[in-house]
Amino acid sequence: MMTQTLMIFVVAVLGYLNSYLASAMICRPMVMGTLVGLVLGDLQTGVMVGATLELVWLGAMAIGASNPPDMISGSIIGTAYVIVTGSDVAASVALAVPVSMLMQSLWNLMMMIIVPMLAAKADKYALTCDNKGIDRMHYIAIIIQVGILSVLTAIGFYVGSSVMENLVNSIPVFITNGLNYAMGIIPAIGFAMLARMIVNKKLACFLFFGFLLVAYFNLSIVGVTAIACVVAAILIFNTNGMENREVAVDDNEF
Amino acid sequence: MTTNSKDKKLTKKELNQIFWRSCQLDVSWNYERQQNLGYSYAMTPVINKLHDKGSEKQQRAYARGLDFMAITPQVSTLLMGINAAMEEENANNPDFDDDTIAAVKTSLMGPLAGIGDSMIAGTLRIIATGIAMGFASQGNVLGPILFLLIYNVPGFIIRYYGLKFGYEKGAAFITGAEKNGIMEKVTYVAGIVGLMAIGSMVASYIWLDLPIMIGSGEFAEPLSNYLDMIMPCLTQLALFGLMYWLLGKKVKTTWILIGTLVICIAVCFVFGI
Repeated sequence: MMTQTLMIFVVAVLGYLNSYLASAMICRPMVMGTLVGLVLGDLQTGVMVGATLELVWLGAMAIGASNPPDMISGSIIGTAYVIVTGSDVAASVALAVPVSMLMQSLWNLMMMIIVPMLAAKADKYALTCDNKGIDRMHYIAIIIQVGILSVLTAIGFYVGSSVMENLVNSIPVFITNGLNYAMGIIPAIGFAMLARMIVNKKLACFLFFGFLLVAYFNLSIVGVTAIACVVAAILIFNTNGMENREVAVDDNEF
Repeated sequence: MTTNSKDKKLTKKELNQIFWRSCQLDVSWNYERQQNLGYSYAMTPVINKLHDKGSEKQQRAYARGLDFMAITPQVSTLLMGINAAMEEENANNPDFDDDTIAAVKTSLMGPLAGIGDSMIAGTLRIIATGIAMGFASQGNVLGPILFLLIYNVPGFIIRYYGLKFGYEKGAAFITGAEKNGIMEKVTYVAGIVGLMAIGSMVASYIWLDLPIMIGSGEFAEPLSNYLDMIMPCLTQLALFGLMYWLLGKKVKTTWILIGTLVICIAVCFVFGI
């Protein structure tokens, strides 16, 4: 059991290091399930459970500021459960989904509090041009997140599924709901910082233009950007055009 | 000052460092400024090489690296390449206005992320999954192997050539543009595109949908419906405005962050949501 837990830990580390390893999608259920199957000695079942969970989370993808459930812990625990207990492949889904949600809220907490604090520290290092310090904050962010999440996944595998299910059900709803709302609001801080950087009186109206295009016409961000390019082109070329015409008129008078 | 003696020049070594370091872009992702630590991590060797140690230019360059960043990892090197080329110009030209770098970064990341996310994270991943699924559902290990290959081979090709193109063409573009005095216009255009992108992100990526009902019985309607009648996405705009105002009051971002968390949990507790 101890060796297996250790191997599960290694798989979890690999999964959580996905975005350290070129965001190569090794965190997807299909890959995680396969690796769990490999270390627990039942490759075929591992691949099959991985494929099942892959379909569950097919639409789950980190885009912009929204994060999908943590597929890594969910896939590992779900696959291991099926292989160890010999139960039905479908049983993996019932366990994997709540585990992934629980782990994601913990992960979100780290990305909401710990990593922004490290970023603030990096801001301080930037003031003194300490590039090693800036890099160190990046490394610490990796070690804390990958370390905690991988250890928890391994513990989850060790203590078994029933304990995990109870834990998932014991967290007060108002805390998870509150975190969910905070998750929707926090990107506003980043956007505000960004806007403060490039805005001036002449350009402020364009921020509202972009906003209104999405609010009233539901355009995608690519769509808004395309319109922005046209607007910019109109402004640039029209002022040029006006200058040229004035010159042309002058020529005629001579 | 007609011939810029390029005494400070990036070598193959720094570009390779960008390539390998860009692979870690998403690993220190956070809710406040997203990939800022990862992006800065990729750019530190360049900044370290180009600017004099401890100079104001270097300090500003490091701070700039830590600004908000949201981009698809596979296309990030294109932006890093352009950024590196501009930083090179910044180091050699004392009259260079380095606000241009921030403006170009901000205006390019929106469209690049939009195109990258839909092309790579969306389309390419779905194609790879679709092909692999046939094997994997039978328990065939070829499935996950194919999945990784189909997704990553194009991903790395884009990552490699994006950097090359961004640095070479970006550099040529910048020097040409400066001779013709186009740079000012580029900053203007970048400002327009960047701000419109931020505006659209405010409406798309911020959300708050409290289940508060107005009225009673049959006539009860969610508060959000009334707000939408005034103007769609009004809540998002108000939240953005609040954060913008707080930042103007020089409130530390960490405090805004913690405050948001505490208030959200407290509201859910008090109203029993």
